[in-house]
Amino acid sequence: MKCEGLKAYCTPRRLAIIARGLPERCPDKEDVVSGPPKSVAFGSDGLPTRAAEGFARKQGVSVDDLNLLTTDRGEYLVLRRLVEGEPLPDILGRSIPEIIASISWPKNMYWKESRFRFIRPLRWFVCLWNDTEIGFEFEGVKSGRTTRGHRFLGEAAIPVKDVDTYLSCLEDNFVLADSADRRNRIAEGLRSAAGTLKVREDEELLETVVYLNEYPTVLRGDFDESFLHIPEEVLVTVMRFHQKYFSLADEGGHLASSFLTVVNTDGDPDGRIKKGHEKVLQARLEDAAFFWKTDQKQPLQERVPDLEHVLFQERLGSYLEKTNRLRSICAGLGGGEDLETAAFLCKADLTTDMVREFPELQGIMGGLYACQEGYPEAVWRAVYDHYRPIALNDDLPRTQTGVLLSIADRLDTIVGCFGVDIIPSGSRDPFGLRRQAQGLVALLLSSALEMPMAELIRMAQRQFSTERPAADVFEDVQSFLEKRVDYIFQREGLSHDVLRAVMSSGLTTVHDAFRRAEALAEIKGEPDFEALAVAFKRTKNILNKFEGEITPLEVSKLVEAEEQELHSACENLRLRVKDCVEQKDYGTALRLIAGIRTTVDRFFDKVLVMTDDAGLRNNRLALLKEISDLFLSIVDISEIVQEGDQNGK
Amino acid sequence: MLGLLDNNMRTFQEIVHNLGEFWMEYGCVMQQPYDVEVGAGTMHPETFFRVLGPQPYQVAYVQPSRRPTDGRYGENPNRVYRHYQLQVILKPAPEDVQDVYLDSLRALGIPLEKNDLRFEEDNWESPTLGAWGIGWQVLLNGLEITQFTYFQQAGGVDLYPISAEITYGLERIATFITEKESVYDLSWNDRFTYGDVRHREECEFSRYNFELADKQMLFQLFDLYEQESLRCLEADCLLPAYDYCLKCSHAFNLLDSRGAISVTERVGIINRVRNLAVGIAQQYVKGNE
Repeated sequence: MKCEGLKAYCTPRRLAIIARGLPERCPDKEDVVSGPPKSVAFGSDGLPTRAAEGFARKQGVSVDDLNLLTTDRGEYLVLRRLVEGEPLPDILGRSIPEIIASISWPKNMYWKESRFRFIRPLRWFVCLWNDTEIGFEFEGVKSGRTTRGHRFLGEAAIPVKDVDTYLSCLEDNFVLADSADRRNRIAEGLRSAAGTLKVREDEELLETVVYLNEYPTVLRGDFDESFLHIPEEVLVTVMRFHQKYFSLADEGGHLASSFLTVVNTDGDPDGRIKKGHEKVLQARLEDAAFFWKTDQKQPLQERVPDLEHVLFQERLGSYLEKTNRLRSICAGLGGGEDLETAAFLCKADLTTDMVREFPELQGIMGGLYACQEGYPEAVWRAVYDHYRPIALNDDLPRTQTGVLLSIADRLDTIVGCFGVDIIPSGSRDPFGLRRQAQGLVALLLSSALEMPMAELIRMAQRQFSTERPAADVFEDVQSFLEKRVDYIFQREGLSHDVLRAVMSSGLTTVHDAFRRAEALAEIKGEPDFEALAVAFKRTKNILNKFEGEITPLEVSKLVEAEEQELHSACENLRLRVKDCVEQKDYGTALRLIAGIRTTVDRFFDKVLVMTDDAGLRNNRLALLKEISDLFLSIVDISEIVQEGDQNGK
Repeated sequence: MLGLLDNNMRTFQEIVHNLGEFWMEYGCVMQQPYDVEVGAGTMHPETFFRVLGPQPYQVAYVQPSRRPTDGRYGENPNRVYRHYQLQVILKPAPEDVQDVYLDSLRALGIPLEKNDLRFEEDNWESPTLGAWGIGWQVLLNGLEITQFTYFQQAGGVDLYPISAEITYGLERIATFITEKESVYDLSWNDRFTYGDVRHREECEFSRYNFELADKQMLFQLFDLYEQESLRCLEADCLLPAYDYCLKCSHAFNLLDSRGAISVTERVGIINRVRNLAVGIAQQYVKGNE
């Protein structure tokens, strides 16, 4: 059954669907009732037998009304009857209870003797076909046309005249059923209540309050300016997570001592609602002030030993152990004294009351406390930022020290988890390792760290005495990370073939790989390069097929002009390419190599590589290998997909 | 004064009395607080045992609830170590239970249409009791005044029929309707404030809970209580077994406020209390079959 439009509405108290353009009834259809076979139904005289008459009588028709129908099993006497389609309201009345029963929720409840579960108790149904009630009963509740308005502002029982007035009659009773209307009302309310201040945008919070209210109204409240001595991060968290308030900033971007709350009513003429919210926030802020004050009685450094009692992961030990590993990894990363101090302090805030109360402030609190304690900016910023990026589009740590600390933390978590067989598979990823790894790759991409990925993994591995064989762990982690590299590079707009070409030549550091990939992406469309890629693939195939050992090239054994020419071109290039690679100027290097394309082509045209003369053959293979190595020092261009040769690997 | 109320309820004790009266008139058994330390009204045997099994029941009582980590040395206007809950259990949950609850607020003189009262999704869970439910926190102008729950499980036992549990935070409601800045400013009666009656207790117990409590002793007590609970359970003497389960829970809360429990241990200790609660609940249900 098709309809022209289906729109769903939901508020904290109701779910509704309006379907438009439904047909009045199902299409009519023909029903075929089978009778006896033709041979039985008609005698040799061609007249209907008693069997035929019996069938007709049973169907309440005469034999003349029957037809013959040819089936696989022969000809049969049948009755064709037009069955009128069922009126849609009848179908709906029957199927809506089934539809309600089939909705699945993340968390269900029972509320009465029946063993039916739903997200919250079902209390009333309105079911209308235009202006006609569709009757059904489900879980002891009969459908009708009576809905309920806003709990306090609207009528308790509202007869809905017809579908077209459903939304307006709810609106008359202070319910905006359409979430878009609520969103607009809130957005408008935020703007006007903010006055000269600026609302801090918060899409997630907006989405939440849109669905928490039936008749949202924005009110502005204030809190005591003296709380502004508490860091902004804390104030915003208190307002946002505990009270679902929007925060405001002044022209200079500084947090103002005001907030916006979205209430579920029409206004606050005598200011009592505003006053209530202010009082609640006041108490919350006093709590935060209490934590801010008492936490600082114990410096971070003294908190570190207590991390022994905070579990990181059952088989990977406490956060104290993690801290020790981080220090050692950070020493290996060569970030200097600031990095090592940051590594030592970074987890200490897990023992503070503030983080216990607001877990989402982990790291940030450590940074703020470290700042208060007078640690250098590089240290406290690194601690502050070291959980970044949390989501893919998050900001990275603002300092190199922070980037390195975040890298160390993620390496430790990923390698540690793989070591004890906590490996993401399918939808199972309890530690969020994919996200961690994605963050790690983004960090590596942005860092100037010269350490190849493989070395990083090994360094992290040395911190653990793992249960699984180290070589297996290494391989698993490497391929896991390479998949994330793939993903991130593709997000950066690099095509798959470019990626493969870079990865096949061996991943060194992520940012270096990225540079190679960029250079390749730029040059790969040029005609010389494409042709050369074909030649190179041919070279690679020849080398791959050859099973013997290739001994070093001897110049004296180069007999044909074309191979001598290729050799000298290659010699000519080698140092210059090497220079470019060292300068990480991969674009120039690739262009240099692409310049020998005609020489390569002539070689393949004129010279038979797999000749019967073993000496000549070896020498030519060795020459090819030289060229091949030249390329492989940058990328494996045989992986570049050719036009019209999409699958030619 | 804004004239928040339609009547003249001005003191803490009047408000508590009034709410109690509302539920008494509704038909509840008016019970008394339990005399073992508990963290919430839910832990009173009149809730824990009554929600199990098929027999209908309706009960209301005030329960002083101790939460050591909530202590603020008498300095926070809203948070106290020991607060009073008014707990109502309606079994089975009546269909109009939310409306009845709203009537109870009206009975206190709160004009609901002039305030921002909302039911916000909040599913309640008590890992130590093996209990959970689905429902709402009730916010009045942003202040959580009630937890409203359809009890689904207690002591790990699926409940049938379902009870509605209404837990009022009495200090918060009273502070709200008498428009005090702080709980300590509440008039307990015409002569004494809440602070007069309780402030010293908050200060001393905050100090005890955070600074003084003997961890060694508490760990020992926990073990002793646990053994005694198990012994009673074995003898099928369930209410005493439950008392000792509650004592374990309180010892755990004190250890927690002393910062004596690591995350690893935490899970283990919660499970030990939970095992007691689950054992007791299961045996109770079996015995009533």
